[in-house]
Amino acid sequence: MSAEELEQLKSMIEMSGTVNMEVYYWWCTAVMVLIHVGFLAYEMGASRLKNTLASGVKNILAFAFVIPTFFFFGWFIYLGFPDGFSLRLDDAAGGIPWGESMGPNLSDNATGVFWAAFTLFAATTASIMSGAVIERIRLSAFLILAVLLGSAVWILGAAWGWHPEGWLTLKLGYHDTGAAGVVHMVAGFFTLGVLINLGPRIGRFAPDGTTLPIVGHSTPMSLIGLMLIIVGFFGFIGGCIIYTSGDQWVTIYNTPATLSSFAFNILMGFAGGIIGAYLITRDPFWMMSGGLAGIIAAASGIDLYYPPLAFLIGFIGGVVIAYADKLLQRFRLDDAVGAFSVHGVGGLIGVLSVGLFAGGYPNVDGPAISLGGQLVGALVMAALGFIPGYLVSLLLKSIGLLRVPAEAEEAGLDITEIPSRAYPESSGPPAIPHGAAMPPIQG
Amino acid sequence: MNSSPITSWEGASAYFTFADSPAMLVLLFLLSVLVTVGVIAAMMVHEKHSFQRVKNGG
Repeated sequence: MSAEELEQLKSMIEMSGTVNMEVYYWWCTAVMVLIHVGFLAYEMGASRLKNTLASGVKNILAFAFVIPTFFFFGWFIYLGFPDGFSLRLDDAAGGIPWGESMGPNLSDNATGVFWAAFTLFAATTASIMSGAVIERIRLSAFLILAVLLGSAVWILGAAWGWHPEGWLTLKLGYHDTGAAGVVHMVAGFFTLGVLINLGPRIGRFAPDGTTLPIVGHSTPMSLIGLMLIIVGFFGFIGGCIIYTSGDQWVTIYNTPATLSSFAFNILMGFAGGIIGAYLITRDPFWMMSGGLAGIIAAASGIDLYYPPLAFLIGFIGGVVIAYADKLLQRFRLDDAVGAFSVHGVGGLIGVLSVGLFAGGYPNVDGPAISLGGQLVGALVMAALGFIPGYLVSLLLKSIGLLRVPAEAEEAGLDITEIPSRAYPESSGPPAIPHGAAMPPIQG
Repeated sequence: MNSSPITSWEGASAYFTFADSPAMLVLLFLLSVLVTVGVIAAMMVHEKHSFQRVKNGG
Protein backbone atom coordinates (compact mmCIF):
# COMPACT_ATOMS: atom_id res chain seq x y z
CA MET A 1 0.00 0.00 0.00
CA SER A 2 1.42 3.37 -1.02
CA ALA A 3 1.82 6.29 1.36
CA GLU A 4 -0.96 8.12 -0.46
CA GLU A 5 -3.35 5.17 -0.07
CA LEU A 6 -2.45 4.91 3.60
CA GLU A 7 -3.22 8.57 4.03
CA GLN A 8 -6.59 8.12 2.29
CA LEU A 9 -7.39 5.14 4.52
CA LYS A 10 -6.48 7.09 7.64
CA SER A 11 -8.68 9.98 6.50
CA MET A 12 -11.59 7.62 5.84
CA ILE A 13 -11.27 6.04 9.27
CA GLU A 14 -11.12 9.45 10.95
CA MET A 15 -14.21 10.68 9.08
CA SER A 16 -16.05 7.46 9.91
CA GLY A 17 -15.25 8.01 13.60
CA THR A 18 -16.42 11.63 13.42
CA VAL A 19 -19.71 10.68 11.81
CA ASN A 20 -20.23 7.85 14.31
CA MET A 21 -19.75 10.37 17.11
CA GLU A 22 -22.44 12.59 15.58
CA VAL A 23 -24.78 9.64 15.16
CA TYR A 24 -24.24 8.54 18.76
CA TYR A 25 -25.15 11.91 20.30
CA TRP A 26 -28.00 12.44 17.82
CA TRP A 27 -29.69 9.29 19.11
CA CYS A 28 -28.94 10.06 22.75
CA THR A 29 -30.71 13.38 22.20
CA ALA A 30 -33.65 11.68 20.48
CA VAL A 31 -34.04 9.19 23.32
CA MET A 32 -33.88 12.04 25.83
CA VAL A 33 -36.96 13.58 24.22
CA LEU A 34 -38.79 10.65 25.79
CA ILE A 35 -38.01 12.16 29.19
CA HIS A 36 -40.30 15.02 28.18
CA VAL A 37 -42.96 12.70 26.85
CA GLY A 38 -42.78 11.07 30.26
CA PHE A 39 -42.88 14.32 32.23
CA LEU A 40 -45.89 15.40 30.18
CA ALA A 41 -47.89 12.25 30.94
CA TYR A 42 -46.68 12.07 34.53
CA GLU A 43 -47.66 15.64 35.42
CA MET A 44 -50.97 15.59 33.59
CA GLY A 45 -51.86 12.34 35.38
CA ALA A 46 -50.83 13.83 38.73
CA SER A 47 -53.10 16.85 38.16
CA ARG A 48 -56.76 16.92 39.01
CA LEU A 49 -59.08 16.87 36.03
CA LYS A 50 -59.62 20.64 36.23
CA ASN A 51 -55.89 21.30 35.75
CA THR A 52 -54.90 18.56 33.30
CA LEU A 53 -54.22 20.60 30.19
CA ALA A 54 -52.76 23.57 32.06
CA SER A 55 -50.15 21.22 33.51
CA GLY A 56 -49.48 19.88 30.01
CA VAL A 57 -49.12 23.35 28.51
CA LYS A 58 -46.71 24.31 31.28
CA ASN A 59 -44.59 21.27 30.57
CA ILE A 60 -44.54 21.72 26.79
CA LEU A 61 -43.64 25.39 27.05
CA ALA A 62 -40.80 24.72 29.50
CA PHE A 63 -39.22 22.48 26.86
CA ALA A 64 -39.85 25.07 24.13
CA PHE A 65 -38.44 28.04 26.07
CA VAL A 66 -35.32 26.28 27.33
CA ILE A 67 -34.20 25.40 23.80
CA PRO A 68 -33.72 28.95 22.44
CA THR A 69 -32.50 30.38 25.74
CA PHE A 70 -29.89 27.63 26.04
CA PHE A 71 -28.77 28.69 22.56
CA PHE A 72 -28.76 32.37 23.60
CA PHE A 73 -26.63 31.97 26.72
CA GLY A 74 -26.53 28.42 28.16
CA TRP A 75 -23.73 27.03 26.03
CA PHE A 76 -21.76 30.27 26.53
CA ILE A 77 -22.01 29.84 30.33
CA TYR A 78 -20.79 26.23 30.15
CA LEU A 79 -17.74 27.08 28.07
CA GLY A 80 -16.95 30.32 29.88
CA PHE A 81 -17.21 29.62 33.60
CA PRO A 82 -15.26 26.49 34.63
CA ASP A 83 -13.16 28.60 37.02
CA GLY A 84 -16.08 29.88 39.13
CA PHE A 85 -17.58 33.29 38.48
CA SER A 86 -14.64 34.60 36.42
CA LEU A 87 -15.13 34.41 32.66
CA ARG A 88 -12.72 32.58 30.35
CA LEU A 89 -13.37 34.78 27.35
CA ASP A 90 -11.37 32.72 24.83
CA ASP A 91 -13.21 29.50 25.66
CA ALA A 92 -16.59 31.22 25.91
CA ALA A 93 -16.18 32.60 22.39
CA GLY A 94 -17.12 29.15 21.07
CA GLY A 95 -20.56 29.59 22.61
CA ILE A 96 -21.35 33.11 21.41
CA PRO A 97 -24.67 32.70 19.59
CA TRP A 98 -23.45 34.34 16.39
CA GLY A 99 -20.13 32.44 16.35
CA GLU A 100 -19.03 30.19 13.49
CA SER A 101 -19.61 26.98 15.45
CA MET A 102 -23.19 27.84 16.39
CA GLY A 103 -24.69 26.76 13.08
CA PRO A 104 -24.06 24.55 10.05
CA ASN A 105 -20.29 24.26 9.64
CA LEU A 106 -18.45 21.64 7.59
CA SER A 107 -15.34 21.85 9.76
CA ASP A 108 -17.21 21.37 13.05
CA ASN A 109 -19.21 18.16 13.40
CA ALA A 110 -19.23 18.25 17.18
CA THR A 111 -20.70 21.51 18.49
CA GLY A 112 -24.25 20.98 17.23
CA VAL A 113 -24.73 17.50 18.65
CA PHE A 114 -23.06 18.39 21.96
CA TRP A 115 -25.18 21.53 22.22
CA ALA A 116 -28.30 19.48 21.48
CA ALA A 117 -27.48 16.86 24.13
CA PHE A 118 -26.76 19.60 26.70
CA THR A 119 -29.98 21.36 25.71
CA LEU A 120 -31.92 18.20 26.50
CA PHE A 121 -30.11 17.98 29.86
CA ALA A 122 -31.16 21.60 30.40
CA ALA A 123 -34.79 20.94 29.52
CA THR A 124 -34.79 17.92 31.82
CA THR A 125 -33.46 20.04 34.67
CA ALA A 126 -36.20 22.63 34.18
CA SER A 127 -38.87 19.95 33.92
CA ILE A 128 -37.83 18.46 37.26
CA MET A 129 -39.22 21.58 38.93
CA SER A 130 -42.34 21.53 36.79
CA GLY A 131 -44.20 18.71 38.53
CA ALA A 132 -43.66 20.04 42.03
CA VAL A 133 -45.45 23.33 41.39
CA ILE A 134 -48.50 22.16 39.43
CA GLU A 135 -52.02 23.47 39.96
CA ARG A 136 -51.16 26.88 41.45
CA ILE A 137 -48.12 28.54 39.84
CA ARG A 138 -48.58 31.16 37.15
CA LEU A 139 -47.43 29.93 33.76
CA SER A 140 -45.38 33.06 33.11
CA ALA A 141 -43.64 32.85 36.50
CA PHE A 142 -42.93 29.19 35.96
CA LEU A 143 -41.34 29.87 32.58
CA ILE A 144 -39.11 32.61 34.00
CA LEU A 145 -37.98 30.17 36.70
CA ALA A 146 -37.60 27.31 34.20
CA VAL A 147 -35.39 29.40 31.91
CA LEU A 148 -33.30 30.54 34.87
CA LEU A 149 -32.85 26.97 36.10
CA GLY A 150 -32.52 25.24 32.73
CA SER A 151 -30.45 27.74 30.79
CA ALA A 152 -28.34 29.40 33.49
CA VAL A 153 -28.18 27.86 36.96
CA TRP A 154 -27.56 24.16 36.34
CA ILE A 155 -25.19 24.82 33.46
CA LEU A 156 -23.07 26.99 35.75
CA GLY A 157 -22.93 23.99 38.11
CA ALA A 158 -22.01 21.82 35.14
CA ALA A 159 -19.18 24.20 34.22
CA TRP A 160 -17.87 23.86 37.79
CA GLY A 161 -18.35 20.15 38.36
CA TRP A 162 -19.11 18.45 35.05
CA HIS A 163 -16.34 19.78 32.86
CA PRO A 164 -12.79 18.46 32.41
CA GLU A 165 -11.41 21.73 33.80
CA GLY A 166 -14.17 22.63 36.27
CA TRP A 167 -12.82 24.03 39.53
CA LEU A 168 -14.62 21.47 41.67
CA THR A 169 -12.82 18.67 39.86
CA LEU A 170 -9.42 20.34 39.63
CA LYS A 171 -9.36 21.46 43.27
CA LEU A 172 -11.44 18.80 45.06
CA GLY A 173 -11.53 15.78 42.76
CA TYR A 174 -15.33 16.09 42.51
CA HIS A 175 -16.76 13.17 40.57
CA ASP A 176 -20.32 13.15 39.25
CA THR A 177 -20.32 11.17 36.02
CA GLY A 178 -24.08 10.74 35.66
CA ALA A 179 -24.89 14.30 36.82
CA ALA A 180 -26.62 13.45 40.11
CA GLY A 181 -25.29 16.69 41.57
CA VAL A 182 -25.14 19.10 38.67
CA VAL A 183 -28.58 18.22 37.30
CA HIS A 184 -30.64 16.53 40.01
CA MET A 185 -29.42 18.23 43.18
CA VAL A 186 -29.41 21.64 41.57
CA ALA A 187 -32.94 21.13 40.22
CA GLY A 188 -34.20 19.61 43.47
CA PHE A 189 -32.87 22.38 45.71
CA PHE A 190 -33.98 25.09 43.28
CA THR A 191 -37.46 23.55 43.48
CA LEU A 192 -37.31 23.58 47.28
CA GLY A 193 -36.57 27.31 47.22
CA VAL A 194 -39.53 27.92 44.92
CA LEU A 195 -41.89 25.77 46.99
CA ILE A 196 -41.19 27.78 50.13
CA ASN A 197 -42.43 30.96 48.45
CA LEU A 198 -45.16 29.39 46.34
CA GLY A 199 -47.03 27.76 49.20
CA PRO A 200 -49.24 24.65 49.13
CA ARG A 201 -52.29 24.03 46.97
CA ILE A 202 -55.56 25.08 48.57
CA GLY A 203 -56.80 22.15 50.66
CA ARG A 204 -53.46 20.37 50.90
CA PHE A 205 -53.08 20.90 54.64
CA ALA A 206 -55.66 21.02 57.42
CA PRO A 207 -55.43 23.97 59.86
CA ASP A 208 -53.64 21.68 62.34
CA GLY A 209 -51.02 20.85 59.69
CA THR A 210 -52.30 17.39 58.81
CA THR A 211 -51.62 16.53 55.18
CA LEU A 212 -54.80 15.96 53.19
CA PRO A 213 -54.77 13.85 50.03
CA ILE A 214 -55.01 15.59 46.66
CA VAL A 215 -55.23 12.81 44.13
CA GLY A 216 -54.33 13.23 40.47
CA HIS A 217 -56.95 12.25 37.92
CA SER A 218 -55.00 9.37 36.34
CA THR A 219 -52.44 7.31 38.21
CA PRO A 220 -52.00 4.97 35.20
CA MET A 221 -51.06 7.98 33.05
CA SER A 222 -48.50 9.02 35.69
CA LEU A 223 -47.05 5.51 35.85
CA ILE A 224 -46.61 5.30 32.08
CA GLY A 225 -45.06 8.75 32.19
CA LEU A 226 -42.59 7.67 34.83
CA MET A 227 -41.64 4.61 32.81
CA LEU A 228 -41.07 6.83 29.75
CA ILE A 229 -38.81 9.05 31.86
CA ILE A 230 -36.81 5.92 32.70
CA VAL A 231 -36.50 5.06 28.98
CA GLY A 232 -35.37 8.62 28.33
CA PHE A 233 -32.76 8.34 31.03
CA PHE A 234 -30.94 5.73 28.96
CA GLY A 235 -30.36 8.57 26.50
CA PHE A 236 -29.45 10.93 29.32
CA ILE A 237 -26.92 8.57 30.90
CA GLY A 238 -25.64 7.62 27.43
CA GLY A 239 -25.04 11.31 26.80
CA CYS A 240 -22.84 11.48 29.89
CA ILE A 241 -19.99 9.57 28.22
CA ILE A 242 -17.57 11.05 25.69
CA TYR A 243 -17.10 9.30 22.38
CA THR A 244 -13.49 9.52 21.26
CA SER A 245 -12.90 8.38 17.72
CA GLY A 246 -10.52 5.41 17.56
CA ASP A 247 -10.01 5.22 21.29
CA GLN A 248 -11.69 4.12 24.54
CA TRP A 249 -14.71 6.09 25.81
CA VAL A 250 -13.96 8.63 28.55
CA THR A 251 -16.07 10.34 31.20
CA ILE A 252 -16.66 14.09 31.15
CA TYR A 253 -13.51 14.25 33.35
CA ASN A 254 -11.43 12.42 30.70
CA THR A 255 -11.07 9.32 32.88
CA PRO A 256 -11.42 6.07 30.90
CA ALA A 257 -14.81 4.37 31.01
CA THR A 258 -16.98 1.92 29.11
CA LEU A 259 -20.60 2.12 28.10
CA SER A 260 -20.85 -1.40 29.53
CA SER A 261 -20.15 -0.06 33.01
CA PHE A 262 -23.02 2.39 32.55
CA ALA A 263 -25.28 -0.46 31.37
CA PHE A 264 -24.56 -2.59 34.43
CA ASN A 265 -25.10 0.16 36.92
CA ILE A 266 -28.08 2.06 35.50
CA LEU A 267 -30.13 -1.16 35.46
CA MET A 268 -29.00 -2.25 38.90
CA GLY A 269 -29.66 1.17 40.42
CA PHE A 270 -33.09 1.31 38.76
CA ALA A 271 -34.07 -2.10 40.12
CA GLY A 272 -32.77 -1.30 43.60
CA GLY A 273 -34.79 1.91 43.67
CA ILE A 274 -38.06 0.22 42.72
CA ILE A 275 -37.60 -2.53 45.27
CA GLY A 276 -36.65 -0.08 48.03
CA ALA A 277 -39.70 2.12 47.38
CA TYR A 278 -41.96 -0.93 47.21
CA LEU A 279 -40.72 -2.07 50.60
CA ILE A 280 -41.64 1.26 52.18
CA THR A 281 -44.75 2.37 50.33
CA ARG A 282 -46.35 -0.51 48.28
CA ASP A 283 -47.51 2.38 46.07
CA PRO A 284 -46.86 2.13 42.31
CA PHE A 285 -46.39 5.90 42.00
CA TRP A 286 -43.57 5.82 44.55
CA MET A 287 -42.19 2.57 43.13
CA MET A 288 -41.64 4.18 39.73
CA SER A 289 -40.33 7.34 41.40
CA GLY A 290 -38.06 5.00 43.38
CA GLY A 291 -36.72 3.53 40.14
CA LEU A 292 -35.80 7.01 39.02
CA ALA A 293 -34.29 7.82 42.41
CA GLY A 294 -32.30 4.59 42.21
CA ILE A 295 -30.77 5.62 38.89
CA ILE A 296 -29.98 9.08 40.26
CA ALA A 297 -28.47 7.67 43.46
CA ALA A 298 -26.17 5.43 41.42
CA ALA A 299 -25.45 8.04 38.75
CA SER A 300 -22.39 9.85 40.12
CA GLY A 301 -20.33 6.65 40.26
CA ILE A 302 -21.99 4.84 37.38
CA ASP A 303 -18.60 4.38 35.73
CA LEU A 304 -17.00 2.87 38.83
CA TYR A 305 -19.37 0.77 40.93
CA TYR A 306 -19.51 -2.99 41.26
CA PRO A 307 -23.12 -3.56 40.08
CA PRO A 308 -24.46 -4.99 43.37
CA LEU A 309 -23.17 -1.82 45.06
CA ALA A 310 -25.16 0.25 42.54
CA PHE A 311 -28.18 -1.93 43.40
CA LEU A 312 -27.75 -1.26 47.11
CA ILE A 313 -27.25 2.47 46.63
CA GLY A 314 -30.34 2.51 44.40
CA PHE A 315 -32.23 0.58 47.08
CA ILE A 316 -31.30 3.18 49.70
CA GLY A 317 -32.47 5.90 47.31
CA GLY A 318 -35.81 4.13 46.88
CA VAL A 319 -36.23 3.72 50.63
CA VAL A 320 -35.33 7.29 51.54
CA ILE A 321 -37.45 9.29 49.10
CA ALA A 322 -40.85 8.59 50.65
CA TYR A 323 -39.51 9.60 54.09
CA ALA A 324 -37.96 12.74 52.61
CA ASP A 325 -41.32 13.72 51.12
CA LYS A 326 -43.05 13.15 54.47
CA LEU A 327 -40.44 15.35 56.14
CA LEU A 328 -41.20 18.10 53.64
CA GLN A 329 -44.91 17.85 54.45
CA ARG A 330 -44.18 18.40 58.14
CA PHE A 331 -43.01 21.86 57.11
CA ARG A 332 -46.23 22.34 55.08
CA LEU A 333 -44.32 22.22 51.83
CA ASP A 334 -46.46 20.82 49.05
CA ASP A 335 -44.33 19.07 46.44
CA ALA A 336 -47.05 17.61 44.22
CA VAL A 337 -44.90 14.85 42.70
CA GLY A 338 -42.05 14.41 45.18
CA ALA A 339 -39.55 16.18 42.92
CA PHE A 340 -37.37 17.41 45.78
CA SER A 341 -37.14 14.02 47.40
CA VAL A 342 -36.49 12.10 44.17
CA HIS A 343 -34.06 14.55 42.59
CA GLY A 344 -32.71 16.66 45.45
CA VAL A 345 -32.33 13.89 48.02
CA GLY A 346 -31.64 11.18 45.39
CA GLY A 347 -28.93 13.42 43.91
CA LEU A 348 -27.43 14.05 47.35
CA ILE A 349 -27.21 10.31 47.97
CA GLY A 350 -25.60 9.95 44.55
CA VAL A 351 -22.88 12.55 45.12
CA LEU A 352 -22.05 11.39 48.66
CA SER A 353 -22.05 7.70 47.72
CA VAL A 354 -19.09 8.23 45.40
CA GLY A 355 -17.16 9.74 48.29
CA LEU A 356 -18.15 6.91 50.63
CA PHE A 357 -17.67 3.97 48.29
CA ALA A 358 -15.28 5.10 45.56
CA GLY A 359 -12.68 7.16 47.41
CA GLY A 360 -9.13 6.96 46.06
CA TYR A 361 -9.94 6.61 42.37
CA PRO A 362 -7.54 8.88 40.50
CA ASN A 363 -8.55 11.80 38.31
CA VAL A 364 -6.66 12.83 35.18
CA ASP A 365 -6.29 16.35 36.59
CA GLY A 366 -6.80 17.24 40.23
CA PRO A 367 -6.81 15.14 43.39
CA ALA A 368 -8.31 11.67 43.73
CA ILE A 369 -11.97 11.16 44.63
CA SER A 370 -12.62 11.73 48.36
CA LEU A 371 -15.56 12.01 50.74
CA GLY A 372 -14.52 15.56 51.64
CA GLY A 373 -14.44 16.61 48.00
CA GLN A 374 -17.87 15.10 47.36
CA LEU A 375 -19.27 16.70 50.52
CA VAL A 376 -18.12 20.17 49.48
CA GLY A 377 -19.38 19.50 45.95
CA ALA A 378 -22.80 18.52 47.33
CA LEU A 379 -22.97 21.72 49.43
CA VAL A 380 -22.06 23.82 46.39
CA MET A 381 -24.76 22.14 44.26
CA ALA A 382 -27.40 22.53 46.98
CA ALA A 383 -26.59 26.22 47.46
CA LEU A 384 -26.32 26.86 43.73
CA GLY A 385 -29.83 25.50 43.28
CA PHE A 386 -31.53 26.79 46.40
CA ILE A 387 -30.34 30.42 46.51
CA PRO A 388 -31.51 31.57 43.04
CA GLY A 389 -34.68 29.48 43.27
CA TYR A 390 -35.60 31.04 46.59
CA LEU A 391 -34.61 34.63 45.74
CA VAL A 392 -36.19 34.87 42.29
CA SER A 393 -39.43 33.21 43.41
CA LEU A 394 -39.48 35.58 46.41
CA LEU A 395 -39.13 38.52 44.02
CA LEU A 396 -41.95 37.20 41.82
CA LYS A 397 -44.10 36.66 44.89
CA SER A 398 -43.44 40.17 46.19
CA ILE A 399 -44.75 41.70 42.95
CA GLY A 400 -47.74 39.36 42.83
CA LEU A 401 -46.63 37.35 39.82
CA LEU A 402 -45.82 33.96 41.34
CA ARG A 403 -49.16 32.36 42.12
CA VAL A 404 -52.59 32.30 40.49
CA PRO A 405 -55.43 33.95 42.43
CA ALA A 406 -57.42 31.67 44.74
CA GLU A 407 -60.56 31.94 42.58
CA ALA A 408 -58.67 30.66 39.53
CA GLU A 409 -57.08 27.87 41.54
CA GLU A 410 -60.45 26.71 42.83
CA ALA A 411 -62.16 26.99 39.44
CA GLY A 412 -59.29 25.10 37.82
CA LEU A 413 -56.59 26.36 35.49
CA ASP A 414 -57.99 24.64 32.40
CA ILE A 415 -61.21 26.61 32.46
CA THR A 416 -59.28 29.78 33.35
CA GLU A 417 -56.52 29.68 30.76
CA ILE A 418 -56.92 26.90 28.22
CA PRO A 419 -59.21 27.14 25.18
CA SER A 420 -59.84 23.37 25.01
CA ARG A 421 -60.93 20.61 27.41
CA ALA A 422 -59.05 17.45 28.38
CA TYR A 423 -61.96 15.02 28.06
CA PRO A 424 -64.83 16.92 26.41
CA GLU A 425 -66.91 13.84 25.56
CA SER A 426 -66.71 12.27 29.00
CA SER A 427 -68.11 15.23 30.88
CA GLY A 428 -71.79 14.47 31.32
CA PRO A 429 -74.74 16.86 31.19
CA PRO A 430 -75.50 18.99 34.23
CA ALA A 431 -76.92 16.95 37.10
CA ILE A 432 -80.73 16.78 37.31
CA PRO A 433 -81.95 18.09 40.66
CA HIS A 434 -83.68 15.44 42.74
CA GLY A 435 -87.41 15.24 41.87
CA ALA A 436 -87.15 17.39 38.73
CA ALA A 437 -88.62 16.23 35.44
CA MET A 438 -86.25 14.44 33.06
CA PRO A 439 -85.55 16.35 29.84
CA PRO A 440 -86.95 14.79 26.66
CA ILE A 441 -84.64 12.36 24.87
CA GLN A 442 -83.27 13.91 21.67
CA GLY A 443 -83.09 12.19 18.30
CA MET B 1 -32.42 37.48 -0.96
CA ASN B 2 -28.89 36.23 -1.41
CA SER B 3 -27.95 34.95 2.02
CA SER B 4 -25.23 32.50 1.00
CA PRO B 5 -21.78 33.19 2.43
CA ILE B 6 -20.20 30.82 -0.12
CA THR B 7 -19.96 30.66 -3.89
CA SER B 8 -18.50 27.14 -3.98
CA TRP B 9 -18.50 24.12 -1.65
CA GLU B 10 -14.73 23.79 -2.12
CA GLY B 11 -13.11 24.60 1.24
CA ALA B 12 -16.43 25.72 2.75
CA SER B 13 -16.56 25.92 6.53
CA ALA B 14 -19.34 27.89 8.33
CA TYR B 15 -21.92 27.99 5.55
CA PHE B 16 -25.16 28.89 7.31
CA THR B 17 -27.29 31.76 6.04
CA PHE B 18 -25.67 35.17 6.62
CA ALA B 19 -22.53 33.56 8.15
CA ASP B 20 -20.42 36.29 6.52
CA SER B 21 -22.57 39.10 7.87
CA PRO B 22 -22.13 39.59 11.63
CA ALA B 23 -24.60 42.49 11.71
CA MET B 24 -27.32 40.31 10.19
CA LEU B 25 -26.56 37.47 12.62
CA VAL B 26 -26.80 39.82 15.60
CA LEU B 27 -30.05 41.25 14.23
CA LEU B 28 -31.59 37.77 13.85
CA PHE B 29 -30.35 36.85 17.32
CA LEU B 30 -31.91 39.96 18.85
CA LEU B 31 -35.21 39.31 17.04
CA SER B 32 -35.23 35.78 18.49
CA VAL B 33 -34.64 37.16 21.98
CA LEU B 34 -37.41 39.70 21.41
CA VAL B 35 -39.87 36.97 20.38
CA THR B 36 -38.95 34.86 23.41
CA VAL B 37 -39.31 37.69 25.91
CA GLY B 38 -42.32 39.15 24.10
CA VAL B 39 -44.31 35.93 24.31
CA ILE B 40 -43.77 35.76 28.07
CA ALA B 41 -44.94 39.38 28.33
CA ALA B 42 -48.02 38.53 26.23
CA MET B 43 -48.63 35.54 28.48
CA MET B 44 -48.66 37.83 31.53
CA VAL B 45 -51.29 40.04 29.89
CA HIS B 46 -53.39 36.98 28.99
CA GLU B 47 -53.14 35.71 32.56
CA LYS B 48 -54.20 39.07 33.97
CA HIS B 49 -57.32 39.12 31.78
CA SER B 50 -58.15 35.47 32.48
CA PHE B 51 -57.82 35.84 36.23
CA GLN B 52 -59.91 39.02 36.18
CA ARG B 53 -62.63 37.20 34.23
CA VAL B 54 -62.70 34.37 36.78
CA LYS B 55 -62.80 36.85 39.68
CA ASN B 56 -65.76 38.53 38.03
CA GLY B 57 -67.50 35.17 37.81
CA GLY B 58 -67.17 34.94 33.99
